[in-house]
Amino acid sequence: MAYISQYEYYENNGNSPENKNWGSYQYVSLEDIVNNFLLMYQGNHSLVNNEPRYKILFHAKRGIQELNYDAFKETKVLQLDVCDNLRFVLPPDYVNWIRVSMWKNQMLFPLTENIQAMSSDAYLQDNDCRILFDINGNVLRPQNSELDQARIDKTKKSIYLNEGSPYNGYEGWCLDGEWYFDWTIGARYGLNTETAYDNPTFKVDQKAGVINFSSGMAGESCVLEYVSDGLYNGDNTTVTVNKLFEDYIYAYIEYAILRSKHGVQEYIVRRAQKQKSALLRNAKIRMSNIHPGRLLMNLRGQDKWIK
Amino acid sequence: MSMINKVRETVLSILNKNNYGYLSPIDYNLFAKQAQLDLFEDYFYVYNKQINAENMRLSGTGHADIARQLNEVIDTFTQYKVLTPAVLNPGAPAVSKQTFDLPDDWYTFVEVIWGTSCEEGTSFSNKECERVSEYEIRRLNRSNLTAPSPQFPAYIFSQQGYPSTEGSGTGNYGNLSNQITLYPPPETSCTLVCALTYVRYPKDPVWTYSELLDPAGRPTGEAFFNSSISGYQDFELPTSDFGDLVNKILQYAGMSIREGSVVAFAQQEQLEQDREEDPMPATKKRTK
Repeated sequence: MAYISQYEYYENNGNSPENKNWGSYQYVSLEDIVNNFLLMYQGNHSLVNNEPRYKILFHAKRGIQELNYDAFKETKVLQLDVCDNLRFVLPPDYVNWIRVSMWKNQMLFPLTENIQAMSSDAYLQDNDCRILFDINGNVLRPQNSELDQARIDKTKKSIYLNEGSPYNGYEGWCLDGEWYFDWTIGARYGLNTETAYDNPTFKVDQKAGVINFSSGMAGESCVLEYVSDGLYNGDNTTVTVNKLFEDYIYAYIEYAILRSKHGVQEYIVRRAQKQKSALLRNAKIRMSNIHPGRLLMNLRGQDKWIK
Repeated sequence: MSMINKVRETVLSILNKNNYGYLSPIDYNLFAKQAQLDLFEDYFYVYNKQINAENMRLSGTGHADIARQLNEVIDTFTQYKVLTPAVLNPGAPAVSKQTFDLPDDWYTFVEVIWGTSCEEGTSFSNKECERVSEYEIRRLNRSNLTAPSPQFPAYIFSQQGYPSTEGSGTGNYGNLSNQITLYPPPETSCTLVCALTYVRYPKDPVWTYSELLDPAGRPTGEAFFNSSISGYQDFELPTSDFGDLVNKILQYAGMSIREGSVVAFAQQEQLEQDREEDPMPATKKRTK
């Protein structure tokens, strides 16, 4: 990609959108990656020779996908309201989630993932528990399983100590003239800390493409932080790689081609593999951007007295 | 002085020395064309051999960089042309959206450019197409990651005229001339623009002549070289190929006049030259 003027950078030459080029210098485009690789790493005197461009493009995209999964720190964030069906449809470019939060009282509350099943498939059965079929021999299904229906109807009880808990709303029990309180702070010995959680819970149903919430989430707003693979929409113009990973991508493509090419000596493949791994490690360290200014705030807590 | 005349004089000189006979201008032009094509094609094979020699550390740099010199000669045949869309069906005015006619003189491609021109302003994106085969393009088109796109377009040779993606598959044959089909097709309001950079064949050499006249102004039947006559075309190969051209033409001339000794002489000369230029002497004979 050619260098752009400062006017084009700040104001996109007066065109819309104005912010098109903001921060663009951090990135190298997919087109540049493929072109540079063809020029610099493929040729008569290079290890990679006579490979079609589409192979290089494929491996470049695969490398970018891998980087998006765990190396890039580029998370996407989407906020949507959760209605009575307690469902949040995953965004179209979703690959994996990082954090799910509830937006309430102008504040983000991180939610925890429910360790139990939140949703279920179901088959219709008769009184003898025999499964019912249609005339084509396919099993009949209800619209919602009992589990789902109870959750949507807000009648499902939860093992979490939130409003779905069977003890929710009870201030205590009077037994033989003595009062017992469940919620006394510091007094509930034997508390299962894994489920000691007051906010709504969620579970991602990847195959169904939704996040299912516990009943406390109805009518609330959900903020999903997630990662994509960086290739969504098939638009190659939007595919970019942070320059810190540029060398890694070239090494990845080279390795990916050499390892699957017939007749390449194993020591060459190993060399390419080591180079790729070393570059990834370097890039990750650079990307983590550890410097004193960042550590300062965290380290300030080191001398705090814990009573 | 033009090379084509020098070569002819040398050839005639060798032939006449032993009274082998006369080579007519028409025959000479045919042999010259054939010889030039032979040597032109040889450049690519020798270039490849030089590259292999370089990879085996059998080639030098600077003046010893033979591959660069060969490349320079090949580059002089590079041409650029904006291609015209192919006519879909003879007699019908419709032209293809993706298929383009190739020039007649192309030998090999350097670069095929994919671009679009749209109604709402010109949007020509200068993207290099990749050559893929017929069976590859179908798989590529089905692939999410590698399907041809405006950033990474592709082309196939479609010598049958009708590309499979156009028309309803009537089985009709279209224009049988050489064509290429570009992928992806343009957007609805746009037309595809295709530019080709290629290595062309050398032009056919033509030794043009006039007839000598006697003092009375009557033709004597003896031809002398005249480069001002229409149709004149010199060799396009460099002067370093002079000897090769003479040898090649001598071989053809010897065959023509059924003189085995001429053929043998020319072949011996050729072998000698090949041996000198061979980058890898272990290989006895240059293979094509």
